Amino acid sequence: MNHHSGINQTFSFNRWTKLLLFHWMVNRKRYLLALPAMAGLLLVWESFILAMNTFQPLDKGFQGMTYYAGLYAVGCLYASMTFAESGTKAQGIAWLATPASALEKLLCGLLYSAIAFFVVYNLVFYLVDIPMVRIANGLIENGRRTWPGGPRIDSVQIFNVGKGGLNDHSEGWDHLFVLFYFALQSAFALGSIYFDRYAFVKTGVAVMIALGCFMILQQRIIDPTLPHGWHRQNFYDWIVDWDTLRARGVRLSPTLGAVLGAMLIYGIPIVCWTATYFRIKEKEV
Amino acid sequence: MVTIRDLHFAYRRRMVFSGLSLDLTPGHIYGLLGRNGTGKSTLLRSIGGFLFPRQGDIDVLGYTPGKRQPDFLQRIFLLPEELFLPPLPVRRWVRVQAAFYPRFSQEQFNKLAAGFSLPLDGRLDEMSYGQQKKVLICFALATNADLLLMDEPTNGLDIVSKSQFRKVMAGAVDANNCIVISTHQVKDLENLIDRVTIIDEGRILFDQTIDAISRTLLFRLSYDPKEAAAAIYSESSFRGNALILPNSTGEENAPDLEMLYKAVMLRGEQLNLLFK
Repeated sequence: MNHHSGINQTFSFNRWTKLLLFHWMVNRKRYLLALPAMAGLLLVWESFILAMNTFQPLDKGFQGMTYYAGLYAVGCLYASMTFAESGTKAQGIAWLATPASALEKLLCGLLYSAIAFFVVYNLVFYLVDIPMVRIANGLIENGRRTWPGGPRIDSVQIFNVGKGGLNDHSEGWDHLFVLFYFALQSAFALGSIYFDRYAFVKTGVAVMIALGCFMILQQRIIDPTLPHGWHRQNFYDWIVDWDTLRARGVRLSPTLGAVLGAMLIYGIPIVCWTATYFRIKEKEV
Repeated sequence: MVTIRDLHFAYRRRMVFSGLSLDLTPGHIYGLLGRNGTGKSTLLRSIGGFLFPRQGDIDVLGYTPGKRQPDFLQRIFLLPEELFLPPLPVRRWVRVQAAFYPRFSQEQFNKLAAGFSLPLDGRLDEMSYGQQKKVLICFALATNADLLLMDEPTNGLDIVSKSQFRKVMAGAVDANNCIVISTHQVKDLENLIDRVTIIDEGRILFDQTIDAISRTLLFRLSYDPKEAAAAIYSESSFRGNALILPNSTGEENAPDLEMLYKAVMLRGEQLNLLFK
């Protein structure tokens, strides 16, 4: 019956750029208003800490926690609005009727909510954080602050998300926070098309339930399959109980471990984005 | 142009269509009539690909609507009853939205908008419902879509605009396109549609061209009680009895759609027999 198919019906760069422009035109007010709101909140929060912490305000760990708290909260909130237009009959028809493919609509939503948001969030964060750290260092320098009975307080450094490092021991691992953010963000983007109303709250509940099920799976299904005295250390390492026997570890082959790790770290966004694509295709209004 | 075969559709447990079949051909303006909740909007949204059949097939211009392929979406336009227009200036919205429709004519849009006295310098979110509807009607016609689906298009239009609507719609149909107008305000479609399709409880009760209706049925006012007794359907009024009679003499007359609709609802079988 249908003779009209081909790659052009799945993706056309020309059509996609039109969709990006259309999305920007419709949503730019919302996006542009969010910038000063984010910057303002960050400024108030860091100013409050500057005023309250009389020893070492805005240390790297604190900046990092602020960065991740903001990224997770605002990022997931924005992600839950990615495909919000599909939730009402009037807006949903207008969105689905726009002559673009499901893939183009998905990529348009993800470009704004996942990539553009991440870039803009970083810009806003450092635009506020860098001057605030300078002020903090000025206070430390001028106040000649020392820890009670201890050495002089060092100046604080700017938190570098590229290097991670909430503290000196965690460098090299913090990128997992960023990767987990993208996993969570992708779940909220899926929720925005899955739930017609209250997508943020409903997705939050769904994520909690999924995490709960994952923990139950580990504790009730995987752990009982281990020999007596053995415990799970992570997904691919097991050790004998430290209290009763000398520690012995068993681990999967490095390749298998790497594959499992990569699936957990990178797989969730891909699974969620794929599910979102099919949800757009099967969306009815 | 549109072929529907054995369409089944249900909202959760409420069955809307169970085995509906319908053919729509180019060159016509179809009037889709029916009571509230009988499935007019559902049918339009199924044809547009916004609802999927639970069973049966829909073919529109050779496409399966549910796949919502960009080429298909460029060739149809659905004007829904509940509108959504973004908070943008009219001209800017038209510019960015028109980019998706290769056959869109800016000149045609401007002409139609002038006919409706639309203020194009305003913003969409500052317009009334009726004005927003007129913007969408103008845009829909200017896309030059092959299939135009309109759900209650005259709702919210003032009297002058309704008259302008009939005027522009009459000039919008040609041999290659098809317009389907769903409404319960049948008076608004008089002298506009050339085919009447009445649906009720998910099935087609009546489907005839205006020509066939006027050849087969006679709509007239009469004081004659004998004539009233012989009528298929009658209504008493101050001006006498409004009757629908078999047109045995081939007398030319204009069908009263509101009376026809009521007659179909009450004497559907008897009426349909006359067309066989």
